[in-house]
Amino acid sequence: MASTNPFPEGIAKEQAFSMAQTEMEYRVELFNKLAQTCFNKCVDKRYKEAELNMGENSCIDRCVSKYWQVNGMVGQLLSAGKPPM
Amino acid sequence: MADSSAEPAGASSGSVGSDESSTQIQPIRMPTIEEIRAQEIWNNCAVKSVASGVMGGGLGLMMGLFLGALDNPIMHDTMTARQQFVFTAKQMGQRSWNSCKTFAVMGLVFSAAECIVEKARAKHDTTNTAIAGCVTGGSMSARGGPKAACIGCAGFATFSVLIEKFFDRHT
Repeated sequence: MASTNPFPEGIAKEQAFSMAQTEMEYRVELFNKLAQTCFNKCVDKRYKEAELNMGENSCIDRCVSKYWQVNGMVGQLLSAGKPPM
Repeated sequence: MADSSAEPAGASSGSVGSDESSTQIQPIRMPTIEEIRAQEIWNNCAVKSVASGVMGGGLGLMMGLFLGALDNPIMHDTMTARQQFVFTAKQMGQRSWNSCKTFAVMGLVFSAAECIVEKARAKHDTTNTAIAGCVTGGSMSARGGPKAACIGCAGFATFSVLIEKFFDRHT
């Protein structure tokens, strides 16, 4: 375990733990926002039946795919430094 | 994620009090893998349209048998009773088979069109039903020329929208 150190050098254990915590919070927030956005966009609020019908299914597929793509792109732009204006 | 874990606790505690008077509120449960697989199967356009075609064929068979039994000429002076029975049975069978084929094609085309349109639009609407009805009616009466196709399209679209609204109100 000591030979295969998963952390890069110079990072203590507590720091890695807090980084993991931040990452986990970010993931949870992403999931909640994604589910809420796609639910608000795709599902008809009259709730006529309990199961998702086909239109809602394909809407959710497209919504999640676009959200994920945009999230990846924005993350890349932010991590590359200043956003190109 | 935080909401769904709090939901079952609240629902189960709320249902204890109103147990005798009203129906119990079921706690939220995630779908099992079999339910997900079944939903995936029924989301497939081909499977859905074939199933609708088979159901339409069954309906056509019943209707053809019934209507074929209703109107057949009774000729007792040329044939015996047994010959009459055989003749009537053949007539009924022929008519019900024709009707079965017509209704099966109608069900298949309608269901396939509605499924494809709904998947493309990603919306659940009555517009899907109207477009599917138009495609079905137009394709079935396309033999009579473009004017007959237009009339068939409009007529079948109106009919299917009315049927859809009727079923929406009564279920």
